[in-house]
Amino acid sequence: MKSFFKHTAPALALLGLSLGSCKPDLENSPKSSAGQADFSRYVAVGNSLTAGFGDNGLYLEGQLNSYPNILAGQLKAVGGGDFAQPLFTDAQANGSGYLSLAGFTGGGNPITVPVTTNRALRAGSTAAAPLFTKFTDPVNNLGVPGIRMSDINTPGYGSVQGNPYFERITPDATPFQTYLGRVQATVASLKPTFFTEWLGNNDVLGFATAGGAASSLTPPATFAANTSLVLDALTAGGAKGVVVTIPDVTGIPFFTTVGPGFRATLTANSVPGVLALTGAAPGGAASGNRKQIATVDIRDAAGAGRQLFTLTSAPFLPLLGRPTGAPWRSFVPRAALGSYLTAYGIDTLQAFGATAGNPIPSAFILDDVEQVQVQNATTAFNTTLAAAANQRNLALFDANTFFSSVARNGLVVNGVNNTASFISGNLFSLDGVHPTPRGYAVIANEMIKAINAKYGSAVPGVDATKYRGVRFPQ
Amino acid sequence: MTVKRLLLAGGALLASAPAASASGFQVYLPGHKSNGMGGVGVGLSLDQSAMFLNPGALAMVRANGVVLGANATFARVAFRSENGGPQRDLQSTVTTPFNFYASFGPKDGKFKAGLAVYTPAGSKLVYAEGWEGRAALTQIDLKSVFVQPTLSYAITPQLSVGAGLTILALGSVNLQRDISALPYPGATIELDGKTKTQFGFNAGILFKPSEKLSVGISYRSKVNATVEEGTVTVKGLPNATPGSNSYSASRRINPGFTASNFAATLPIPAHAAIGVGLMPTDKLTIGLDVVWTQWSAYRELRFDFSGNNGNGDYAQVGTQGQPGYFPANTGTPGLVGGNNVSISKRSYQDVLAFRLGAQYKVTDKLTVRGGAVYDQSPVRDGYVTPETPDNDRVALTTGLSYDVTEKFGIDASYQFIQILKRTQTQQQLLDNGTTDRVAGTYNSFIHVPGVGVHYNF
Repeated sequence: MKSFFKHTAPALALLGLSLGSCKPDLENSPKSSAGQADFSRYVAVGNSLTAGFGDNGLYLEGQLNSYPNILAGQLKAVGGGDFAQPLFTDAQANGSGYLSLAGFTGGGNPITVPVTTNRALRAGSTAAAPLFTKFTDPVNNLGVPGIRMSDINTPGYGSVQGNPYFERITPDATPFQTYLGRVQATVASLKPTFFTEWLGNNDVLGFATAGGAASSLTPPATFAANTSLVLDALTAGGAKGVVVTIPDVTGIPFFTTVGPGFRATLTANSVPGVLALTGAAPGGAASGNRKQIATVDIRDAAGAGRQLFTLTSAPFLPLLGRPTGAPWRSFVPRAALGSYLTAYGIDTLQAFGATAGNPIPSAFILDDVEQVQVQNATTAFNTTLAAAANQRNLALFDANTFFSSVARNGLVVNGVNNTASFISGNLFSLDGVHPTPRGYAVIANEMIKAINAKYGSAVPGVDATKYRGVRFPQ
Repeated sequence: MTVKRLLLAGGALLASAPAASASGFQVYLPGHKSNGMGGVGVGLSLDQSAMFLNPGALAMVRANGVVLGANATFARVAFRSENGGPQRDLQSTVTTPFNFYASFGPKDGKFKAGLAVYTPAGSKLVYAEGWEGRAALTQIDLKSVFVQPTLSYAITPQLSVGAGLTILALGSVNLQRDISALPYPGATIELDGKTKTQFGFNAGILFKPSEKLSVGISYRSKVNATVEEGTVTVKGLPNATPGSNSYSASRRINPGFTASNFAATLPIPAHAAIGVGLMPTDKLTIGLDVVWTQWSAYRELRFDFSGNNGNGDYAQVGTQGQPGYFPANTGTPGLVGGNNVSISKRSYQDVLAFRLGAQYKVTDKLTVRGGAVYDQSPVRDGYVTPETPDNDRVALTTGLSYDVTEKFGIDASYQFIQILKRTQTQQQLLDNGTTDRVAGTYNSFIHVPGVGVHYNF
């Protein structure tokens, strides 16, 4: 019998090879197409998210995995052209520097370390005011980390006193060109046929990540006026595009990571509550800027409780009940510390977080009142963005709805679970605010869905699971 | 030729089939005469393959003899993600389902005894490197070999009955996938095990009221392919050596992968069939079978993990209270991905297959055959898994037999099976709670050529 198989197998194999050349074909289901849009020249306008910022820095790998770069790569299948980014060189690949994950403590807490080698700093740069190696070639990606919608017509925003990321790409001949001016100039020179616009996150984020203790929320009227200006500039040549809404920042790991553990520790030690500063107004213990926070009012993993603790508070919360000035030194410049403590009536010899004399800094807590302010601003801005997109017949990617769903339910991509959790969730980088490359790939895919729906195109998406989450020590 | 030698030969030949020959992971290749006629034969008494199709028909097969056949299956599976992107072709695999039948009995007696060895279920698929569904499956190899002693008795010249003891003699499963959820790329898990011997039965009746008409019914019981002590192999976890860069990360990840063993059960479902045979002339035989397969037995694919590979065990490092201190840890045994059980929904439904075939005796020596099949898929919308990229199938078949001498002849058959294009969306997966698989479109062809010999004595 063995010889029977031995003799027939080659004959069968030969037959099968000839038959096997007939293959099922799926390349045309669906066939990639541009639909009613023209993707030949694409320009991206936005902030850190558009630049590819992550791990609290802008560096080459993040730039290469920016959602506009991923999107531009996919648009090539439907007539898209080259997409120039202000990339850091390989020799300066670490750009602004960033955080990397060194490992975990015995207790399981992450240990992050700053990467400070091979940065793109130029002469005159200081820690407080960095200056980056200039990049003055034309770029399609106008993402500027830190920019707010309210900043777009601020002269000098691209000067050495302004935003170092904008200064980096601002031509030497026009140091006082505004961001809006740069957008207009880019539209005039590159003649984009397609754009993405995602500004406005920092108009709430700066206030929120400072726990309401610094920065400010952009007035809705300013936001609306500037939205019109930037969209009018982008559509001046008849380009089609996508407008993106602003996600609710209270769902990001920056606000959801620390509180649950802190609440559990307080509960385990039968501590009924803590004392904190609220808002930004100076004043002593009797001025009304102190806030009693009950332990049960700290939001836990299940969503019960209201008060959110920032990721930046993590190193200092274990000092609760001890006399310490460390929390204050972490965000107040040394030279200003004395006057700051006096202005807020703080005595660092008192028990931290347990007394009105040494409360938990406002910068560490986004409390319920501040959350309402953030929510109201976000809603107002998103209403403006949606209306502006509709008015100009542009596609809208509602990132707010999308990220709310991710925060609630996670996101399964090709059988891989992703969540909005810090480090383990794959989507958010080590700063707890900005996405990982996988997060950006997911954003690019969602943007493609919005584009396809609006313009009848069939732009292929990417396999987001091929993009990394947080990089672990190898 | 002993049963043991047969099994060895079968095992050596990879007695599996691609996810292909019939619905789900069934392989419905009774023998080349039947294969060429679209797999009909429940209402016929073609040859000794009646033991598979309808043991009641064996007593109506006049001659004693041996039938031996082998097939090669060439599956061409293509996948394209819901997102678009490149088409992913299955890496070509060839499998060789086979069958062997021998019958014995007194000449012109009422009894016939027989022995059958065949491969009624299997699947072998190797997906393209880096394909979108790699977190669900990168490759599968499922094999089964059944041995079936059979008895058949002709109560009258018109009516015969028969039954067989179906023994799952050899079976194995090998599943591999990427652990894409880990921050360490390249981590994989492999489950490998052998099935334990299981028993079932089949039985049937053939009624032949005239020379021109015969009717048969048959039933085959479910047999569970059960792996009790399979091995779990996880590769690519972070280095857990104290002092290595990934040591502290390994303490978070590795204790979730302590299992060394698994247990699982895959039902090879029961089926019942009714067949009609028409013999309008001496030369022409027509068969029509309807086969009902009780796939609803396949509710879920469940793996229970056990054993301990020591991945969770850590000695103390450093001194308590000092930086760099890590306490000793004793791992929880039996975990994969932090769970001691993995359940993946299948929720198959019962299905029908319709088989139609005919043979024509061109000369005394040459018989030609043709047939067609419509085979419903047990897999509901949104439940398609990479290990069975299933949909309704249509097949066209052809075959021939050539009798070299009165006693000895050769048989050949060829089946072309198209698994109809099947698309499932991420929304369907979310709605069904089946997001452990991948959204996209599958399209598959299968070619099944085969040759065999028969010898009557």
